Amino acid sequence: MAENLPFDEMYNPDGSVREPYRALAQWLEEQPDKALTLMQSDAEAIFRKLGITFAVYGSEEGTEKVIPFDVIPRIIAAQEWRRLSKGIEQRVKALNAFLYDIYHRQEILKAGRIPEKLILQNEAFCPEMMGLEPARGIYAHIIGVDIVRVGPDEFYVLEDNLRTPSGVSYMLEDREAMMILAPDLFQRQKVAPVENYPENLRRTLESVAPANASASPNIVVLTPGIYNSAYFEHSFLADQMGATLCEGPDLFVDGGKVYMRTTTGPERVDVIYRRIDDDYLDPLTFNPGSMLGVPGLFDAYRAGNVTLVNAPGTGIADDKAVYTYVPEIIEFYLGEKALLQNVPTYNCTDEEQRNWVLANIGDLVVKEVHGSGGYGMMVGPTSTKAMHAEFRKKIEARPDNYIVQPTLALSTCPTYINAGITPRHVDLRPYVLIGDEVRITPGGLTRVALKKGSLVVNSSQGGGTKDTWVLED
Amino acid sequence: MRISIEHQLSVTPPAGTAHAVLQLMLTPISGPSQTVESWSVEMPGIGNAARFADAYGNSVHLVNQARPEGTLLVTVRGAVTTTDRHGVLGRVGGEPVAALYKRVTALTRAPVTLYGKFRSSKDNRIDVLHALMARVGETLRAVEATGQTQSQMSADGSQSQSQGSAPADAARPAASASDLAHAFIGSCRALDIPARYVTGYLAPGGADDEDGLSGFHAWAEAYDDRLGWIGFDPTLQLCPTDRHVRLAAGLDGLSATPLRIVPAGDGVAIQEANVSIV
Amino acid sequence: MTMLGRTAQNLFWLSRYVERAENMARLLEVGYRMSLTSRREGGASEHLVSMMQAAEVDEAFASKDRVADVDTVANFMMFDPDNYSSVYSCLLAARTNARSVRTAITSDMWESINSAWLEFSQIKPRDVRGAKLLGLLEWVKDIGHQFRGALLGTILRDDGFAFLQAGNFIERADNTARILDMKYYVLLPRAKMVGGDLDIQQWTLILRAASAHRSYRHVYHDRYKAHNIADFLMLRPEMPRSLIFCAKYIEDNLATLSQFYGQKQSCDEAASQLRSMVDGTDMDTIFSYGLHEFLTEFIARNNRVSDTLSESYNFY
Repeated sequence: MAENLPFDEMYNPDGSVREPYRALAQWLEEQPDKALTLMQSDAEAIFRKLGITFAVYGSEEGTEKVIPFDVIPRIIAAQEWRRLSKGIEQRVKALNAFLYDIYHRQEILKAGRIPEKLILQNEAFCPEMMGLEPARGIYAHIIGVDIVRVGPDEFYVLEDNLRTPSGVSYMLEDREAMMILAPDLFQRQKVAPVENYPENLRRTLESVAPANASASPNIVVLTPGIYNSAYFEHSFLADQMGATLCEGPDLFVDGGKVYMRTTTGPERVDVIYRRIDDDYLDPLTFNPGSMLGVPGLFDAYRAGNVTLVNAPGTGIADDKAVYTYVPEIIEFYLGEKALLQNVPTYNCTDEEQRNWVLANIGDLVVKEVHGSGGYGMMVGPTSTKAMHAEFRKKIEARPDNYIVQPTLALSTCPTYINAGITPRHVDLRPYVLIGDEVRITPGGLTRVALKKGSLVVNSSQGGGTKDTWVLED
Repeated sequence: MRISIEHQLSVTPPAGTAHAVLQLMLTPISGPSQTVESWSVEMPGIGNAARFADAYGNSVHLVNQARPEGTLLVTVRGAVTTTDRHGVLGRVGGEPVAALYKRVTALTRAPVTLYGKFRSSKDNRIDVLHALMARVGETLRAVEATGQTQSQMSADGSQSQSQGSAPADAARPAASASDLAHAFIGSCRALDIPARYVTGYLAPGGADDEDGLSGFHAWAEAYDDRLGWIGFDPTLQLCPTDRHVRLAAGLDGLSATPLRIVPAGDGVAIQEANVSIV
Repeated sequence: MTMLGRTAQNLFWLSRYVERAENMARLLEVGYRMSLTSRREGGASEHLVSMMQAAEVDEAFASKDRVADVDTVANFMMFDPDNYSSVYSCLLAARTNARSVRTAITSDMWESINSAWLEFSQIKPRDVRGAKLLGLLEWVKDIGHQFRGALLGTILRDDGFAFLQAGNFIERADNTARILDMKYYVLLPRAKMVGGDLDIQQWTLILRAASAHRSYRHVYHDRYKAHNIADFLMLRPEMPRSLIFCAKYIEDNLATLSQFYGQKQSCDEAASQLRSMVDGTDMDTIFSYGLHEFLTEFIARNNRVSDTLSESYNFY
């Protein structure tokens, strides 16, 4: 897959501008000197004022950073998006069907389409979920699918995030900022709106309220608290949806129902959009040491008196080892071929594949099976020989703990850096809501690796974001 | 056989607890081997408890206690009629798929010395299971005789209790019924046989109750594609008889814990379970 | 929308801590000025210690085993995280509370407290001495002004507003009562009608600590007199730091709350008992009751308002 130049979203190899970027190119040309510099500094002021920050793990307490925002939008053509969103919808439907199955009859295991051991012995599999009937049969209501592009028609799914995908607040705030910074640019073409995400989130959550909930279900967002790296997003979403932002101690279970402690006494809670990991949800059922959770919450869920969004145990469907079987999963449940491709993945427990991986590690990407956020991973071509040696050792010691993929030439997008426009690698995380219907917000979050040549787009590793435009016909 | 049970458990939440939440897995279900004639669970707050079936099909109470004072006492009373089916329960509707019980948990990691010799066995599964039960009994008793404890096997979650006690010399640490069941289950799973942990009550063994084991008890069940679930009691070295009253099942002792509480405080003290034949 | 008990609690304490930070700065300013002008041997230390007594942090300071001089005390009152009432601790607590209720306050309020904290946390204690200290103390007072300005200008007048205001004025009532109690003996009526130099110095201290040394003249058109000073800080309804002003304000806000929720609570009764102490009375009556005893009782009743408020509205 080693190519001369990565696919650029804006420019064809001959230097001409790709169709969706025509208006932008024109606009850029018309801008006086310094206009972008001004925009960039205005953008920073806007974000600081909005208070959009994320905490950096491992740094001093209270250290918060504003995630870098790039003023040049990433643009997706209408027909490109139609193709993508079809593929995404197919994928999330199949993954939910898969979750229902493995927590019930496990037909896919009986049929031998996925090794039984891979599921049953997986840490991400949650036996406590067996036989539970979630509202509408949905387990993962909120999914962020990480997609990379390597050619005009070549998209790969890098990862399906079914636990508690974050970053949607950046998608919304990026658009907000962009409309303040360059309103004239929006007048030149029709850009699909993203602003209705909070409303759609609310509708999705209401649609999965338990059967015995009141007509207008009480929805809360459950956060681990102000020291969580995504706390801003939790409070932002609660605010935008008109939901109460709760911490564990604000909720309690009585008579198998969940209540929040208000100034006027207990009030029943019907749907919990929880941003707390499974293990910390309920000390009675899961981690007994958890101070973040609500004792009895899982039992109340089990008794059908509250809906947890996403359901516990959804992590089994985005496990890196299960990932390789997603095309199989789509075929098994939907009888269709996968519309979006997986990145080819090497299995290090297979000796032949492992030997090949060890010999070619400099060209490959190594990821820890349970790692996330760009931690515990190595990109071969941009790592030192010492790093290669270190990861060779790691793989030899625990081959099942790593998956290995070829280094994809992620597409690049023009990015404003040091008073000039220069290509940088990007990925895309569209956000999908699954309730009474599947709602995919057009576009999503584009993450951009600000370091030259870097392929790691995570904010914790120096990545930034761009507003993402889906053009309408 | 009609068996009468009275079981008392007590737990003391830390002083000043505003809100205690308890989970009780103390209600048996009628099935192929038993019919529950009458059953009651009494404790403060039980009237407002939520009841539901857990992932393993057990009947569970969720009880709240606002500002509990001192020790909470749980009293279980009931009568169950049992049938001796030589341990064979078969397939019961509403239970999770048997394959689930191949999942290895922290409590069910058995040493290869226990099951290794059965790995290439050509015997049928039932024979293997009986041989394995014998092996688990011999091995753990042998360890016990040399004075070593099975500390890894009984080291578990903070709230699991030692359940039932083997007829051992009180001075010597004994492998408990729970340890034996875990060792058996871990071995089964290592051999790719689904196996689960069962809690229950054991009625006295005849007029003289020669094994002295009556009371709260724990054993195992293993799955055979032909016969379904079959009980194995490695403590008594037999398949459950009409002396056994099934209470709850789970992946291990932790998931079938009869009483959990948050906040935990001093933990749970299991008191006497009086089991008698009516 | 219904409000979590914790949210009400966070709002209440957010306001209290902002007010407290400001009061600490004011007290420290007084202590600092007095220590500069004190002529007696050891006088500087004495003033600083009595100032810390008013702030109820003298024991915490004593446990540090340091000599009380301008630098050590200023550092303790401004930057010491071990001192729960230091400006540092107050601003951090205010910001933590604000962050927890980010959606219940306006972005102007958030920005004012957030930027105050971010700026304050950048200051190196070593660099703050002498004139710089006074400048910094002014700035800390400005934080309170900015926050209240943002609050009054932007927030909805609903239950959240009432919790914020209740916190603000319960803290202020406590502070004024403590300042008076710290020096109550110099306010007691005496045979001599005219105060000596030392008395005047002490009175100025009290007035300054309540930012009342200028407004006193507007109200009394008279030189400093003990009786007037006590009257001003306790019973004058137009003085925004006086006990009666705070007590009435607290009562009004709790009444707003019980109207909002449609039910009277035990804290309404406690607030009424607080107000009745300072309403329809005069200084002569208070002096005959005993000034120190009166202030002690006032502080106790004020605490009771705070306690019953948290019970009434499910703080935890």
